[in-house]
Amino acid sequence: MEEQRIGVYVCQCGTNIAKVVNCEEVVRALSEQPGVVVAKTYKYMCSNPGQEMIIADIQEHGLDRIVVAACSPRMHEPTFRKAIQTAGLNPYFVEMANIREQCSWVHDDPQVATDKARALTFGALHRVAKHEPLERMSVEMCPDVLVIGGGVCGMTAALELADGGNHVYLVEREGTLGGNVARVDLTAPYLDSARDLITALVTRVEEHKRIDVLVHSQVSSLEGFVGNFTATVETIWGDGASVSQFRVGNVVVATGYKEFDASRVVHYGYGKLPNVITSFEFEKMLRAGRIQTKEGKIPQYVAIIHCVGSRSKEFHTYCSRVCCMTALKYAHEVKSAIPNCYVSDVYIDMHAFGKGHEDFYKRGSEAKTLFLMYAKNDHPVIRKAGPGDDCEMLIEVNEKLSGEQIEIPADLVILMVGMEAREDSDAVARLVNISRDKDGWFIESHPKLDPVATTTDGIYIAGVCAAPKDIPDTVAQARAAAGRILAKTIRGSIEIDAVFAEIDEDKCSGCRVCNALCPYSAITYDASKKKSTVISAVCKACGACVAACPSGAIKARHFTDSQIFAQIEGVLT
Amino acid sequence: MAIRVNPKLIDELEVYGAEDVQNCYHCGNCSAVCPFSKEPYIFPRRPMRYLQMGLEDKLKGSLEPWLCYYCGQCSEECPRGAEPGETMMSLRRWLTSKYDFTGISRAFYKSGKVELFTVIGAALLTALGFVLWAVLRGGDINSYDGPNAFLPAASIHIFDWALAGVLLALLLTNCGRMWWFTLGRDKQLRTPFWLYLKKLYLLPLHFVTQKRFATCERKRPWAVHLALVVSYLIMLVLIMFFLDLMWSGPEIDWRVHVFGYIATVGLLGTTIFALRARLKKAEPLYAHSHETDWIFLILLIFAAFTGILQHILHRVGFDAAANVTYIVHLMGVVPMLGLEVPFSKWSHLAYRPLAMYFSAIRAEAKERAEKEAVEPTLAAQPVA
Repeated sequence: MEEQRIGVYVCQCGTNIAKVVNCEEVVRALSEQPGVVVAKTYKYMCSNPGQEMIIADIQEHGLDRIVVAACSPRMHEPTFRKAIQTAGLNPYFVEMANIREQCSWVHDDPQVATDKARALTFGALHRVAKHEPLERMSVEMCPDVLVIGGGVCGMTAALELADGGNHVYLVEREGTLGGNVARVDLTAPYLDSARDLITALVTRVEEHKRIDVLVHSQVSSLEGFVGNFTATVETIWGDGASVSQFRVGNVVVATGYKEFDASRVVHYGYGKLPNVITSFEFEKMLRAGRIQTKEGKIPQYVAIIHCVGSRSKEFHTYCSRVCCMTALKYAHEVKSAIPNCYVSDVYIDMHAFGKGHEDFYKRGSEAKTLFLMYAKNDHPVIRKAGPGDDCEMLIEVNEKLSGEQIEIPADLVILMVGMEAREDSDAVARLVNISRDKDGWFIESHPKLDPVATTTDGIYIAGVCAAPKDIPDTVAQARAAAGRILAKTIRGSIEIDAVFAEIDEDKCSGCRVCNALCPYSAITYDASKKKSTVISAVCKACGACVAACPSGAIKARHFTDSQIFAQIEGVLT
Repeated sequence: MAIRVNPKLIDELEVYGAEDVQNCYHCGNCSAVCPFSKEPYIFPRRPMRYLQMGLEDKLKGSLEPWLCYYCGQCSEECPRGAEPGETMMSLRRWLTSKYDFTGISRAFYKSGKVELFTVIGAALLTALGFVLWAVLRGGDINSYDGPNAFLPAASIHIFDWALAGVLLALLLTNCGRMWWFTLGRDKQLRTPFWLYLKKLYLLPLHFVTQKRFATCERKRPWAVHLALVVSYLIMLVLIMFFLDLMWSGPEIDWRVHVFGYIATVGLLGTTIFALRARLKKAEPLYAHSHETDWIFLILLIFAAFTGILQHILHRVGFDAAANVTYIVHLMGVVPMLGLEVPFSKWSHLAYRPLAMYFSAIRAEAKERAEKEAVEPTLAAQPVA
């Protein structure tokens, strides 16, 4: 092997690194190492002059490997890979040592930090010598999209994608589009009709020439990887069923939620007391245009109880986000329909976070809604009133703002049932290979910076299936997912990282340990050959299979044994 | 035992002026900014909560509304426009109607028209009564004082004392009811008699000095109010004890009239100030005016002007005109005293000092009870 010519670049990151780590000393130590042709320090290595300096050195000194001691590779590895590629090197011939997060930011003693920075840079130097040139693959991107769920979220995403020119398969389990919003009367806080909103969406979706709507249908399998999925959909027609199959490049999961089952909260007597109803039952009443008790009487006292199933240790600890405003909407609708009715709103905290919400809350107060606060993990108890009372029921609760144990008269009690992940969210997660959190909601790639992507390329989540949210947030996510997909499909192909695991078929014993272990379902098993294979486009190079393989048959590209051992040796030098 | 919420009470309080209390969401800014709000009397937040929830008995037993002087800082700080200051004012009106057993007060507060017609009725009756009495006993309309006086000072003096007796009896009954609601019926509170004696000095102290009012950051309302109170006290003493000296004329008896002029200036000045401020809504205190506030102020200004006029007429020798003006003056004064003191706005002259007195008793009784609750547990420790 001919002599390698390595360049080492130590970044000061302004003063982020240099105020603790002695960068000059690191440069001095590295410059004495065999193979190092150039060793330099600079204020901002990631800046344009910094990158240009590296490129110029590669060309001038004929460097073939680069070490950058700077921040985390998560931050700037792509920057330096691109820079050395510009200079004509294989992008994988760069290695970073993290001397910011791992040294200057966590150590106070400059000597200790400098020693550690030197050791890490030595590790990178030894490792980069073992790097192999890798080539990125390009795969075709099918522009068609599968959208699972025909509620507001799915329909919005489908329309956005179809308007952008992509063909969309919209799969809905029920017989009609609209989802949960179709069960609602008015929307909060602006009191627009939900029906109008849904009708407009459904009409456009059904008339759109690039949207295929499949109602009464469920996705039974999804094979392949980003750009190249094959979806199988089962449709039930009356007593017959049909199966269709199509290719899609990306998938939007918009499966929404189901309402919390109020009968699980025993002290509310739901199912036993006839005039204790859920929010969705009340919506039905509102849509029918008559607010009344089971006996057909106009109620004089209406009580609304918040957080049924939400924000409690017993059921769900999360907030369902839409119920507070929906409750205020009910107070408003009751007062408009029955002006002399008294509305009590029994809440834990009033979450009025969105646009127009605080004003809506104030309007509820002005209309004399009686707001009564109870403590989290405490709960009101509903009982039948006595013959002498002027009401049907009494709600006993420890009211927090007054500190008094009180009873609230009620003829009709509305339980604000929270949102819950659907029972089959687990099956959906397995179908599209994404994960769920402890509450059953699908997990996004990054909660803040990448909220609609998932850890599986090509699978996007939007709307309530990822966590409770209101219509505006859902629509934003639906459009975000559609936008992401449009951006990916517009080029017709995608590049896949060259770093992935490979199985040496000769060594593989077919034990299938790796199959179940892979968190990305990237390993398939060929039953006839009795061998496992990694789908490189799906693999994220986590290394779980590499470590687990009893035959040592799996190699992770760019994370080979020899590279890692070299790095360890370098650190220990 | 759970207390029943009564969402209807808030509607009832609306006629007393509490129109915005429903807007309160209990941030507590009002109670934080109030210089008087201290344990165990936290307000305006606590009474506002009781009112929203309709906890009528709790409200009836509250002394807090009387501990507030409506400087208005709370209303200025309120982020929700819930007008805590005005709510406290309305609660004082409501409490006044609750302390009054006759139901007259309630009728006045519920309808300004009822109060107005009652005032007019009382005024006409007063005029009729005095004129009939003067004519029947053969009084000379051209004589103001002396043996043939149309209305002799000695008789008026007896009438004054009789009226004072009736008013005092009514007011004392109301005060008794106030005591019952706030201290008497609270079985958990042990208030020994000596505690009532110990705190008794608070009654005259607060009555005369308005000391607590002076604690408000804004001093002007206190100064105006003190001037009004002192003027009235002077006038009261002059009329109840020196009426004969005041009466004789036309020469001016400076021993009494110097005080009379001071009191007149005080009464007229403060009343005009209050009227102007209410018209201009100059301060939070004056921003909301209930019908009863206007009736009270109009009676005050009416009594002051007719009083001055009859004084002048008598001094310049127009005795007939002075006698007529005096009857007109009585038409203002009698309803003002007879109706406002026991049943309306003026009753606060008794309730405020009483509230100060009762609140001190209650606070000390509570403190003692808390101490006693701690001590027995210490005493129960076995002695080694």
